[in-house]
Amino acid sequence: MGTDMRYSIWLILAVLTGLISLPARADFHVFACEPEWTALARVFIPDAHFTTATSYLQDPHYIEARPSLIAAMSRADIAVCTGASLEAGWLPALLQRAGNPDIQTGQPGLFFASDHAQLFAPHDHVDRSMGDVHPEGNPHVHLSPDQLPNIAKALAERLGAMRPDNSADIFARYIKWRVNWNFHRANWQERAKALQGRSLVIQHTGFSYLLRWLGIGATMDLEPKPGLPPSASHLNQLLADPRLEDAAAILIASHQNQKPAQWLSAQIRKPILVLPGTVTDDSKTDTLAELISEIINRLESAMPEVANGSL
Amino acid sequence: MLNRIVPFTALSLALLTSGAEASELNPDVSLTLDGHYKQNDTALSHREQGFGLGHTELSLSSPIDDLFSGQLTTVFEEHDGESEVLIEEAYLQTNGLPLGLNVRAGRFLSQVGYLNGRHMHEDDFVERPAAYRALLGSHYYDTGLRINALLHTPFYWQIGAEAFNGNQLSEGAEDIGVYTLNTRVGGDFSAAQSWQAGLSYLHNRQISTDEENHDHALDHEHGHDHSHGASYTGKNLYIADAIWKWSPNGNTREQQFTLSAEYLYADDLNTFATSDDYHEGWYVSGVHQFAPQWSAGIRYGEVDLREAHGDHFHSQRLKETDVMLAWSRSHFSTLRLQYTHQSATGFSNADNTVALQYVVSLGAHGAHGY
Repeated sequence: MGTDMRYSIWLILAVLTGLISLPARADFHVFACEPEWTALARVFIPDAHFTTATSYLQDPHYIEARPSLIAAMSRADIAVCTGASLEAGWLPALLQRAGNPDIQTGQPGLFFASDHAQLFAPHDHVDRSMGDVHPEGNPHVHLSPDQLPNIAKALAERLGAMRPDNSADIFARYIKWRVNWNFHRANWQERAKALQGRSLVIQHTGFSYLLRWLGIGATMDLEPKPGLPPSASHLNQLLADPRLEDAAAILIASHQNQKPAQWLSAQIRKPILVLPGTVTDDSKTDTLAELISEIINRLESAMPEVANGSL
Repeated sequence: MLNRIVPFTALSLALLTSGAEASELNPDVSLTLDGHYKQNDTALSHREQGFGLGHTELSLSSPIDDLFSGQLTTVFEEHDGESEVLIEEAYLQTNGLPLGLNVRAGRFLSQVGYLNGRHMHEDDFVERPAAYRALLGSHYYDTGLRINALLHTPFYWQIGAEAFNGNQLSEGAEDIGVYTLNTRVGGDFSAAQSWQAGLSYLHNRQISTDEENHDHALDHEHGHDHSHGASYTGKNLYIADAIWKWSPNGNTREQQFTLSAEYLYADDLNTFATSDDYHEGWYVSGVHQFAPQWSAGIRYGEVDLREAHGDHFHSQRLKETDVMLAWSRSHFSTLRLQYTHQSATGFSNADNTVALQYVVSLGAHGAHGY
């Protein structure tokens, strides 16, 4: 049996070398942890092949390092992720199991958006009794109108460096994107004037960068602690909060369970806004700029008295 | 053994108390606490009746440099009032070799089957299935070398081989006592459904099936009383496993159903074994995480064993049904209530039992596999 085993190991190695020496692929594979980074990278390299690990219907904190993702990660040329521990529950396992030499910590093939942003609310001291708090700060930075240009610039530079033959095109597409973004941002700024000073009840801090930028208060959270699902006792406590009177609506993301929001909505007779937390396949929200515009549209319709000026 | 562990504990305490600024250069420290109350003693069980501690793990892990990362997992266990410290994992692992290769050296959990390569604290039930407890000592780990290759296919396909010292499974004089071969494939059926299937083979060279060695074979009957090795071994062990997971829109946070099944078969038990003497076991488990903090599950398994008695065997059979309900306050704490029903032939201590268990993790919490 011993010699049989030795033969089978050689056989495996022979099969392996055969499979590995297949011709190198011509196309460029992008692995994006969240759909917003697929949308952004696609602007710069529309011809690339994209795999997106999550969708707007999924909570990006809780993805599994499942076989299909390991296979996609092993084929990828670059992985574009949020970082700041958002993917701490699954990305390390994925990187380790895929064993892709180009996509490892410190390699140019691993791009973290949060490395190129100023995160809100970083913590010097974090312990688990505080809930699922990220010491680096709030990682949901993809809805920040001011931070995205920095991230986009860094991503365009990284992609340009990895594909030198296309770097001029990538730079041109970035400039075009930037002009378009600035145009949108001016429009959002205009519309923010009417939203400023209003407040919402939220569930998790997924929309917080945008809400802060718009001047909308969002301190009442359905989650008792970050990352913990809403509990009956916390909802009852929230019900006694005097600030609830001023809240225009309850804002939750598409991937969240609507029951806690529905319960509170029935108690306080305020509408529920269910918005995608990231880009979707729908043509109205399939780029980040369109997504932010759509979120602002929905906020405006949920706060109808904006025409009369601020409260 | 205890002396050996003191430096590790001291080291980790020093790390825990040092400032946060330099923490990025320190290894991640992770502690798993696992305790239970069990109403009755059960057959093939590694958990004692009454209050008891399960798998208390202290783990340090860190990148070593850009090529290697390392991990140490020590396990504190109590058996019959005696404490012991075991080194369950002490390995270095490559990060991104070319050609999809992945090498691990040192002591680690063998990757045979689905459950064996996972840490016990990730399990959905208080104990592993009876087939695992009998044939792999719940989890087989050993000192050796692993080489895995991820094949360049559009779906997930991994092949791997391991060579081990073998003494953690059964004692012997071979330098390389155990070889394993393993292959796994997997993918997604849709956004909501994913799957994985695997085949494994474990070759135990320390089971003597030669006539002249039969004295040694006799020593194996009744084994070692609190052994972490398997109580039932064979020269060849084959395992087939399959896993299917479903969650609406793939949003595992809100809801997930996991169906898993494994089949284990071992033959060439010892010198006296005929072709009719083999161990066989299987289980099917369904676990439904029906809310972010709640899961319920049911598992049924059987194992047919041949217990060696000198030159002949006694048949043993155990059928086990487990029903469990678990509540996780956060990702880091779980309380579990389980009812186990056993029906057996050839086991005097088979019984039904209720068990209550907690599993919590402190400190860094490594990302879980599929």
